[in-house]
Amino acid sequence: MMEKQNKELHVKNRTELWYNIAKNIAIVTAVLAGILSVLMIANFIQTKSVDPLNSQAISQLMTKLQENPEDTVLIEQIRALDLLARKAYFTHQWQIRTGSYLLFTFVLILLLALKYMSSLAPRFPDLTKGPETEKTWESRLLSRKYILYGGLGLVLLAFVLGVLSQTELKKIGIFQPQKNQATSGYASLKEIRDNWPGFRGPEGIGWAYHTDVPKEWDGPSGKNIRWKIEIPYPGFNSPIIWGKKIFLSSADRRRQVMYCIDADSGEFLWQRELNDIPGSPERRPQVTEDTGFAAPTMTTDGTRVFALFATGDIACLDFDGNRVWAKNLGVPENHYGHSSSLITYQDLLLIQYDQNTGGRLLALSTLSGDMVYDQPRDVEISWASPVLVNTGKRDELILNSNPFVMSHDPRTGQELWRVRCMLGEIAPSPAYADGMVYVVNDYARLAGIKLGESAEMVWEYIDDLSEVSSPLASNDYLFMSASYGTVTCLDNKTGERLWLEEFEEGFYSSPILVGEFVYLMDMSGVTYVFKADKEFQLISRNELGEKAMSIPAFMHDRIYIRGTKNLYCIGE
Amino acid sequence: MKLKKLKIFFVALALLCPVFVYSQVQERFPKPDFESGYVRPDLLTPAPRSVVWEYMDILVLVAALSLATYFAHKLRSRRNIFLLMVFSLVYFGFYRKGCVCSVGAVQNVSFALFNLAYVIPLSVILFFALPLIFTLFYGRTFCAAVCPLGAIQDAVVLKPISVPEWLARLLSMFPYVYLGLAVLFAATGAGFIICQYDPFVGFFRFGADFNMVILGMSMLLLGTIVARPYCRYLCPYGVLLNWMSRLSRRHVRITPDECNKCRLCEESCPFGAIKKADEETQPMKKETDVKQLAVLFILLPVIVFGFGWVGSRLDISLSRLHPTVSLAEEVLLENAGKRTEMTDATKAFRATGKPLEELFAEARAIQTQFHKGGWILGGFIGLILCLKLISLFIRRRQLEYDVDKGTCLSCGRCFAYCPYEQVRLGQMTPEELKELDRRDVSIKQFRA
Amino acid sequence: MKEKSSKDRIKRRDFVRKSLHSIVGLSIGGLAGVLFSRSSKEEMVWQLDPNICIQCEKCAVNCVLPHSAVKCVHSYSMCGYCDLCSGYLQPGAKHRDTGAESQLCPSGAIKRTYIEDPYFEYTIDEELCVGCGKCVKGCNSFGNGSLYLQARHDRCLNCNQCSIARRCPSQAWKRVPASQPYILRGDESGKYRKG
Repeated sequence: MMEKQNKELHVKNRTELWYNIAKNIAIVTAVLAGILSVLMIANFIQTKSVDPLNSQAISQLMTKLQENPEDTVLIEQIRALDLLARKAYFTHQWQIRTGSYLLFTFVLILLLALKYMSSLAPRFPDLTKGPETEKTWESRLLSRKYILYGGLGLVLLAFVLGVLSQTELKKIGIFQPQKNQATSGYASLKEIRDNWPGFRGPEGIGWAYHTDVPKEWDGPSGKNIRWKIEIPYPGFNSPIIWGKKIFLSSADRRRQVMYCIDADSGEFLWQRELNDIPGSPERRPQVTEDTGFAAPTMTTDGTRVFALFATGDIACLDFDGNRVWAKNLGVPENHYGHSSSLITYQDLLLIQYDQNTGGRLLALSTLSGDMVYDQPRDVEISWASPVLVNTGKRDELILNSNPFVMSHDPRTGQELWRVRCMLGEIAPSPAYADGMVYVVNDYARLAGIKLGESAEMVWEYIDDLSEVSSPLASNDYLFMSASYGTVTCLDNKTGERLWLEEFEEGFYSSPILVGEFVYLMDMSGVTYVFKADKEFQLISRNELGEKAMSIPAFMHDRIYIRGTKNLYCIGE
Repeated sequence: MKLKKLKIFFVALALLCPVFVYSQVQERFPKPDFESGYVRPDLLTPAPRSVVWEYMDILVLVAALSLATYFAHKLRSRRNIFLLMVFSLVYFGFYRKGCVCSVGAVQNVSFALFNLAYVIPLSVILFFALPLIFTLFYGRTFCAAVCPLGAIQDAVVLKPISVPEWLARLLSMFPYVYLGLAVLFAATGAGFIICQYDPFVGFFRFGADFNMVILGMSMLLLGTIVARPYCRYLCPYGVLLNWMSRLSRRHVRITPDECNKCRLCEESCPFGAIKKADEETQPMKKETDVKQLAVLFILLPVIVFGFGWVGSRLDISLSRLHPTVSLAEEVLLENAGKRTEMTDATKAFRATGKPLEELFAEARAIQTQFHKGGWILGGFIGLILCLKLISLFIRRRQLEYDVDKGTCLSCGRCFAYCPYEQVRLGQMTPEELKELDRRDVSIKQFRA
Repeated sequence: MKEKSSKDRIKRRDFVRKSLHSIVGLSIGGLAGVLFSRSSKEEMVWQLDPNICIQCEKCAVNCVLPHSAVKCVHSYSMCGYCDLCSGYLQPGAKHRDTGAESQLCPSGAIKRTYIEDPYFEYTIDEELCVGCGKCVKGCNSFGNGSLYLQARHDRCLNCNQCSIARRCPSQAWKRVPASQPYILRGDESGKYRKG
């Protein structure tokens, strides 16, 4: 009996000894682990704030070096800093690694000690108290209550989350295929053709899809003139229309303005002056009187409008006139004044920026104005505007310049084909119909270019050539108007002349195809309507009442013409 | 040669606008012919782990599962289970870096079922199925000694408190939600959230970002007082193991023999998986409860349907976590003028020239998947909620101290507390058992 | 009577449990079988497709390892061995030397060695490379594209969900079979030709 008790005591003492040893080990390792953790956290915070591989100090020194490339002291400084930075980075890596392993070891030992200590203390219930199983019902009741609340809470949370998340996207229409434009991101071809979004209409080829328009009107007497409104400052750009909004821009030596006018009432919805664009030149460049400072026609993609001025300022406003972005592209080297109009392709704003210093095709993001590509072109200066059509297999951006007419992929700017056929100062824009491109310039030729495996000129015509007015191609015919008053109609497949008519005044505006008719306005504002046919048949001659150089816009059952002073709305 | 390159270089410099580079490989400079006899070095391509090791993993898994079962059922030795657990922690945890693990394999299986393009490796299937099969027959021996996540938590259990029953029941609903979400996200291809929010894998890999380290540390610190918090209140695989374990034919019991309700084992389980025996005078039913139970039965379809409907309404917000949908959303907002800048992802997408309609069609399809999946998820959770509530009305008489088959992890801690176990081990004679004065147990008697 | 009914209850419960047991067991087996028919014998590992990569520099930061498993590799068969290497030199570098102010690589992992006139060899020290892709961007924009990023499988842990893949803006990461773990460029791409 005594032996057994002695043995028990001996064992008890031994275990107490081990317990104390374990306790001490635990304390030591805990302290060590604690110190190490603090060190590692400090290390982490330090490297978070200063990333050795992207050091501010080094970048600043590098910019200095750009100015003085031969400064050896600076070079030495940079090299020393760089070495330090790299060393710091790798040391930090090493520190993390070693620190983690060390910390792990300490924690492991700590845990072992603690585990040993806790295993020596078994958990027994307090047998003086009952097992308290009668509490089970209460706890069940409680559980039911809380689980029910928990479930309802979860559902409520989920519901709120589900409802809240829908609001912004719902306004846009989520991803459902709907008819309105915003959901698919870009305006569809149908929407583009339903409006008048740029120079010479949708796609820039002079085709109007709203054909139910008046054939007769008279400015001086007011017949079929619904309204007219004076446009404050001068501008030769043509009106563009989306929905019920008409957009114009004007500029003179002192100011640049963009306007929005309501198509029904003919009243200004807003006017915005654009005088504080970053990068805008102090002094306006020289331009000629018949080009002005606001020659390029605006364009719109359905949510925003874009305008370019002779200063190289380009601005983007939304339909309510709020500025989205504006910048300066660099003053164009253009002795008459820049006149190529703007056009959009999906999310890109395309600019034909051909100047005396060389040709360029620019693409800016419509959202931010950031340059997406800047494609140099092997051409000289041009005043023509882009045409953007689907030529069967692909979308092509076709630009007319000296000496080439070139086609580009609007998405990347890469050149697709070129044909050498132009000379001189190019102002007329290309025409397109049915797989053929038509370009013209005075002293060069009128060329019919067939697209296919490669583009080639299949016919040319050299009489009564246009120098400003852009040609118009219908499915069968080609119409060319000149600034000295002639209008020529040719068979567009063969280049054979079908008829030639002479008019009193010359044409700067370009002919527009409206169904079976052609509407063509001369410099005095008189619009001739004739049949788009192999025989000349004049339908009507309509006076405006003032001079006009712009392209009329055709929308719904109305025509909008910008004269030198006023904007007219013609309709029944 | 040099001049030409310089010219190109300066032209390139001149175009120093942020041209978006879409990795076009162009041979701008011709490949040189070396005259000095220089030989181009070979590109080193270090191979990944050989497939042999994959089979090794499977073998180790089978061996560990078998051993765990053997230790728990036949040997009933906590020490052996503990040692096996340490081995699993080292092998599956630190050596294999905790990946692929059985908990995560649930996602791979969901992903494979709904995406024919994904080829699921054999080892993943087995990591999913084998623990379930073993548990179906022998209880959750996987949890005790094989799962590395469980092992690391078990290793830090120091002073476990007992969680109040109502709280434990409430929190144990969460793994169902987690499982449902994980399956939904994996099946639609949105991502593997179990892997993303695994607190312990950062320790196994010795590498994690700051948030993961904090999460892991907090979980382990919590684990010192609340034993195995992830296993009990978070693990989605635990839901499946719970079900399997409840159906298991043979499960570990506290006593190897019979129970004399000595109550010594009451506080022995740090996980609260021991069911106490009822006293005879306990009433088993209450009047009011029957009415409430009836109401619950009637409301069951309403609740399930209601939860399902709410789940389906989450399709927009949940689907945003899918990369395709978030890309499509970003592009849509940019085009509609609600964003001033493009992100890297949208720029990269636009540069591919892929038509917008295609992207939107894909996004729509994924949202539809989330819509349907949301119905199922909601309905599932609603059903589980109702079943849980119903089970809280029903009570069977508990005749002896036994484990809760669903939540018992077969760790074997409770064995040593049972006097019948000590008889089995020869530390006590049956006669001594009969005369056992429970108030007089000592450490010596306890430590086997 | 009461005894009998409780015994019945137990038998019924047992029966339900046993049948559920078999059903569940069979379903797991069935599921495993279905998946097995579609499984691969080998592991799938993660890899970056260099033709989709946009060099956003996220590979360096998002790997779970402190020192990213993504490194720059050099296809010597495609390299032009240029003196004016746009992957090695900063865009504004005035001197073509190995000075720190001229180098593009932030950690100095590219080594430039003179071979013969006018060729220089560029090698990557993987211990120093952080996988940021600055050199790749330079090489792709103005050079031959012989530098590109790849996940190195002596370092890559092959996580179930690659945290770089998750955040890649151009979705350039794919799962590839472990027997063909690299997507290479140049002459080396034939190394892993399928079929």
